Amino acid sequence: MLLRASGERDGTAYNLSAVTDDAADAGVPHSDLIRGLTEAAVRHDAAALATLREAANAAMGEQQTVDTLAVAAAFNGITRVADATGIPLDANTQQTTASLRVETGIDGFDYGAKSARYDGVASAAGA
Amino acid sequence: MYDTSYPVRANLREAHEQAWQLIAQPGAFWSGAQRVQIVQEARAALRCSLCERRQEALSPNAVQGAHDTASALPAALVEVIHRLRSDPARMTRSVFDEALAAGLSAEQYVETVSVVCTSVVIDTFHIALGLEAPATLEPQAGAPTGQEPPKVVDGGAWVPLTAVDVQDGTFGLPRAPNISRSMGSVPSAVALFFLAFRPHYALRDIPLAISQAQAEFIASRVSALNECFY
Repeated sequence: MLLRASGERDGTAYNLSAVTDDAADAGVPHSDLIRGLTEAAVRHDAAALATLREAANAAMGEQQTVDTLAVAAAFNGITRVADATGIPLDANTQQTTASLRVETGIDGFDYGAKSARYDGVASAAGA
Repeated sequence: MYDTSYPVRANLREAHEQAWQLIAQPGAFWSGAQRVQIVQEARAALRCSLCERRQEALSPNAVQGAHDTASALPAALVEVIHRLRSDPARMTRSVFDEALAAGLSAEQYVETVSVVCTSVVIDTFHIALGLEAPATLEPQAGAPTGQEPPKVVDGGAWVPLTAVDVQDGTFGLPRAPNISRSMGSVPSAVALFFLAFRPHYALRDIPLAISQAQAEFIASRVSALNECFY
């Protein structure tokens, strides 16, 4: 949803499906490298990180590489704050992103739905 | 921290060092020793066989057992820490409810979330740069400090949210987004997490070498990986 807002601000139509579709190109510079660094950082994949840092240093420079990893690290933390507290969407986001959430599959991450899905599975398994 | 040739920004390094020191000090609801153990337990979750088996299961709640622990923290607290560290995508309301049923207070839960998530930011950035996660500090002695009751409301989350005027009345934008209100029942927990987070990101005019759109793409990808609805 942040990427959508960024596109609206700079007048660029980014490919929002790239958020959840590994094969899609987001349309931002160095999209593939950024995606790889982000995923390796979240998964703590040291081997992949070493290879990707080298490639990113060559393509983007060290500061962009470091800043990419800094943003990934920050969101690896803040997404857990949201996941652990079950906060609802902000009201304006709720209103303006309905189609986007369907398009990208983000609606499947709704905390109420996840609680019903996983807690429900556990109940069924224990029955 | 950050003994590396990579150009780690000075404000980020300083903020992380301050946050690391804060974790080792008594919080409002956990002692310094307990907060350091919360970090150690979060790291243990990455090597925990129960957490690994749960990640492979259709539902984490379908697999029972004991965690591989690194501390003497109460089992209910260990469960929260391990779930949040190893499988955030499948954190559910039952994790929170069961923690409270086992005797944790909502405020202890929130302070735990703050400490774990702050350590996740710091550890992830270290590991991403090819560094060892930093050693935990010697905890400062002392009991939890307690706090003045903050003004909170039921905003539809599992936990109480900071009470604010929801709309600013001019553009209809939220005065404070729910993410910044989510730990509002423990203001020191909000302060700790955002001390570490703030140098990494801004909603506009991001002060980094990457563009705002690149930063939002990264944020969105992490959100998808961690199945973050917000």
